[in-house]
Amino acid sequence: MCDREAKLVAWLDGELPGDEAAAIRAHVGECQTCRSRITAYEKVSEDFHLYCNAVFEAGTKPRTLPWIPVLATAAVVIVSFIVYFRTRVAPPRPASAPIVSAQPVPIPAPVSTPGAAPGKAARHKPAPPPGKPHAPQWEPWETSVEIAIPAESVFAPGAMPEGMRLIGELRIGPDGSVRQVRFRQ
Amino acid sequence: MSDDSLPLALPLPRWVADSSEVTALYRELRKPLLRYLVCLGLSGDESQDVVQDAFLSLQRHLASAGAEDNIRGWLFRVAHNLARNRQVSYHRRFAEPLDAGFEILAEQATPEQAVLEKEKYRRLLAAVRKLSESERECLLLRASGLRYREIAEVLGMATSTVADTVERAVTKLAEMCNV
Repeated sequence: MCDREAKLVAWLDGELPGDEAAAIRAHVGECQTCRSRITAYEKVSEDFHLYCNAVFEAGTKPRTLPWIPVLATAAVVIVSFIVYFRTRVAPPRPASAPIVSAQPVPIPAPVSTPGAAPGKAARHKPAPPPGKPHAPQWEPWETSVEIAIPAESVFAPGAMPEGMRLIGELRIGPDGSVRQVRFRQ
Repeated sequence: MSDDSLPLALPLPRWVADSSEVTALYRELRKPLLRYLVCLGLSGDESQDVVQDAFLSLQRHLASAGAEDNIRGWLFRVAHNLARNRQVSYHRRFAEPLDAGFEILAEQATPEQAVLEKEKYRRLLAAVRKLSESERECLLLRASGLRYREIAEVLGMATSTVADTVERAVTKLAEMCNV
């Protein structure tokens, strides 16, 4: 080990007084060990400088929060689905299933339920027989429900004859939801 | 961070900000101060706050007719002490992986060079973590361009102690990194 090695870094940094620096300079010209040390010190000092720059760049680089791109992508997908389903054109109905009839559909006779309470009562209506001339022109449904409602509960007292009831027909869709409601006497 | 994203307004009153000397000092030392503080472990925002506070302290220092020699060492000392007061983040940087920093270092390189660069800086990071606190601080201040007497003023050491500490730190890094 060379006894001048302890001063090499200070000499590299220009921190030695003039005479001491001159002595080190002269020694380095003759000592291969010190020259290789100086090369290593310069290299590691440069690497450390670059390392500090990298830390600085990494520490001050604006960061994008990781969940923002995820939320943005999800929002775009949702909006795309909404726009697609709201603007798509429904396929035309087949000609063999007309919805509107030229003849007015007569209202069927009220359904009376013997012994039913004056309150609400519900029963399942049997499916209309095929080929019936005045069958309702609705789309076929899976189930229909009729509800008997006293007229007094809908209209003001005296506006309707006493004892009159209204029959509400509910059209039930395949998914169980109410698709259509109509009332008859 | 680019220089454009840093606040350009000098946090000093107009009578001080008009001084071209102080303005030049701010422009010269803002980035080295920020770099030193970030390397100490502060976040970018914390570092900017500390730099602002340091220049406000400089304003008060100059207004009270304080010593005007070695203002650079004075500013680093104030910033160093302000960073010390933020103990939660002071030791954070050297305890965290620096993958983001390595990515930045390797940005301009080919894939093979990037792998070698990353490996080199991983070894350097491991070596830096093994240094003592004073050795790290001396190296950081040296890398910020401060002279030994300025480092001594910042850290409250003797200049000869700084020389010994820097020598020891550089020697350790060279040995641990097999340079």
